[in-house]
Amino acid sequence: MANEKVDVVIVGAGASGSVYASVLAKAGKKVVLLEAGPDWQLTDLISSEMWGRRIRPAGAPFRLEGKNPFGYAGQAGWGVGGAALHYFANHPRFLPNDYKMKSEHNRGLDWPISYSDVAPFYDRVARDIGMAGDAKAEEIWRPAGDPYPMPPMKTFRHGEVWLKGFESLGIRMVPAPVAMNSTDYKGRPACIYDGWCHVGCPTGALANPVVTYLGEARKANAEVRALCTATRVLTNQQGTRVTGVEYYDEKKQRQVQEAGVVVLAAWSGQNSRLLLNSTTDKHPKGLANANELVGKYMMVHSIAGIAAMFDEDIQNHLGTIGAQYMSYDRYGKTSYKGAFGSTYITCGAAQKTHDFANSRPDLFGPELHAYMKRAARGFTRISMFGEELPSMENRIELISDKDEFGLPLARLVHSFDQDAVALWTANVEEGQKAAKAAGAKEAWSGRVIPTTHLHGGTIMGTGAADSVVDSYGQCHELANLYVAGPSIFPTEGASNPTYTILAISLRGAEQLAAKWSTVAG
Amino acid sequence: MHDIKRRAFMRGAALGALAFTVGGVEVLITPGEARAQGVPFRLLKANEGETIEALGETLVPGARKAGIAHFIDHQISVPAEEALLQARIFNVRPPFANFYRAAVGAIDRGSEKVFGRKFAQLSSVEQAELVNQMRQNKIEGWTGPPAAFVYTLLRTDAVDVVYGTMEGYAALGIPYQAHIEPEKRW
Repeated sequence: MANEKVDVVIVGAGASGSVYASVLAKAGKKVVLLEAGPDWQLTDLISSEMWGRRIRPAGAPFRLEGKNPFGYAGQAGWGVGGAALHYFANHPRFLPNDYKMKSEHNRGLDWPISYSDVAPFYDRVARDIGMAGDAKAEEIWRPAGDPYPMPPMKTFRHGEVWLKGFESLGIRMVPAPVAMNSTDYKGRPACIYDGWCHVGCPTGALANPVVTYLGEARKANAEVRALCTATRVLTNQQGTRVTGVEYYDEKKQRQVQEAGVVVLAAWSGQNSRLLLNSTTDKHPKGLANANELVGKYMMVHSIAGIAAMFDEDIQNHLGTIGAQYMSYDRYGKTSYKGAFGSTYITCGAAQKTHDFANSRPDLFGPELHAYMKRAARGFTRISMFGEELPSMENRIELISDKDEFGLPLARLVHSFDQDAVALWTANVEEGQKAAKAAGAKEAWSGRVIPTTHLHGGTIMGTGAADSVVDSYGQCHELANLYVAGPSIFPTEGASNPTYTILAISLRGAEQLAAKWSTVAG
Repeated sequence: MHDIKRRAFMRGAALGALAFTVGGVEVLITPGEARAQGVPFRLLKANEGETIEALGETLVPGARKAGIAHFIDHQISVPAEEALLQARIFNVRPPFANFYRAAVGAIDRGSEKVFGRKFAQLSSVEQAELVNQMRQNKIEGWTGPPAAFVYTLLRTDAVDVVYGTMEGYAALGIPYQAHIEPEKRW
């Protein structure tokens, strides 16, 4: 069944897809977003760990393999807003050194753009969606930019207790930049610090796509088709242009949406899987994959999570799931001897009962209950995000198992290399020193390296020989096919990715709108 | 005062409760209430429910009364995308009933290997010993889903029903502070 042709069809109504939809709909384009999950309303976002699982994917489109398998379902999204419906809204930007790793260290890859190309978009995104923080304080690490539109968020004892420890190590902590409202902003209320951000913020205080770019897109008449699963990107007979997207609707009926431009803005793994599944006689290895780079260079952050117990009531239930304080003082790629990569340091996330239980997975029975009672009073933790280098070995590839529509599932193979393990180990050691110096009664870390924030698979670069898309997300191979989101990052820095996702999506979407007739034909 | 008013405004704006069938009528009750009222399982067999209750109670005291078996039974009977189970976060491939059936079978086989009886028939000391071995993947000849994974997933289910509810927070003295409260303090 064919639908009326539109200007652009966007696969995925998450962070990046919402930006594209907003920019293009406001430019007068007819926009359709295909979203695999439901069209969540704010009133669906029940404050409960269990009910919050509904906004994560169910099922297993990816087989998770390698020495350090990626925690897929907890990270990805399902439904409008995507993963950014349940993200922690930490919004650190990438620093200048992230864009020039190859040039400066002869390791990894360079981005085809510099920090200065993205900086204006960081400032605009902050104004668009509302951010709280202290930009001036961050300027000890980065070039000056605009101030954030709101002052920093309130702080609480469970974040403040860490400051002495970091200070003793020479690590400067400043207010964390977050996409949350410290004051009322653009008709959305200020945060009330109840700490349920990770299951979806229903008040609108947290800048998820539903209340920001997606809301704007809808006002500009973008159409969201929920419970519609994209299965293939379609091309013309010559294989020179994409013509639309095949998908299955809510009733599991096959549909085709033709469009002048296709934007793939699904989760990083799904973007690759879609391209690999879109084979034709002209594209036997999948679309945009003549160079066999689709699905390659998958990257994740490690988390050195240091748990600590303090002998006082630090009121860990208060605040937000975002950080209270952050530091770039270990962001230099060679901050630790024997390791390579940036580290982003955070502290002060609110804690829930599942966090307590997960922090001591070895305990059960009466010992667990005794621990839960202590944790309710004195538990807190820090998270130190570590970068890994891009590697061809970390990849998405199709497998013989099929999904309900008969399309191959994929496996995501991921292992940390020696540098990444050394960085995580160094971060754990430093974090434990910070806990001790902060006066924690106990401090510990797990032995398994946690993973978060998937990037890569369709990386950007200067040409078809070394990358899938250009710096705007436009495919080298097919001019009217764009890819958006962290899948186009060629390196991952150590900062939480969403701020950079939004900034480069805004840059890409505006470029597309500006040269629309050239691209759409 | 401003904050309290906002919370009150949001309260009850959405539905968050489990529907169990009692006397042919669908009612919104908690899994603990379903257990107390003797609501029949939808998918689990009685012996599977016994094993899950015994394991749940060993993992987190109070899980039996909180209705862990009714919770899991309910959740494996609904479409995977509606399920509230940690299984979806751990990337278990639906239908989740397959995993739980395999897990229960593995636990009872492991229990018979080590102690000669099914898990629910062990003393509480024996149950704790077996769980401790499961946790460390130390049961020789274990077949089925990896023992440590079964431990981790069922432990989370038990944490869900005991500590993940509004009542669980209250029992630990933690203000729940819901923006939108689940129905039935769930």
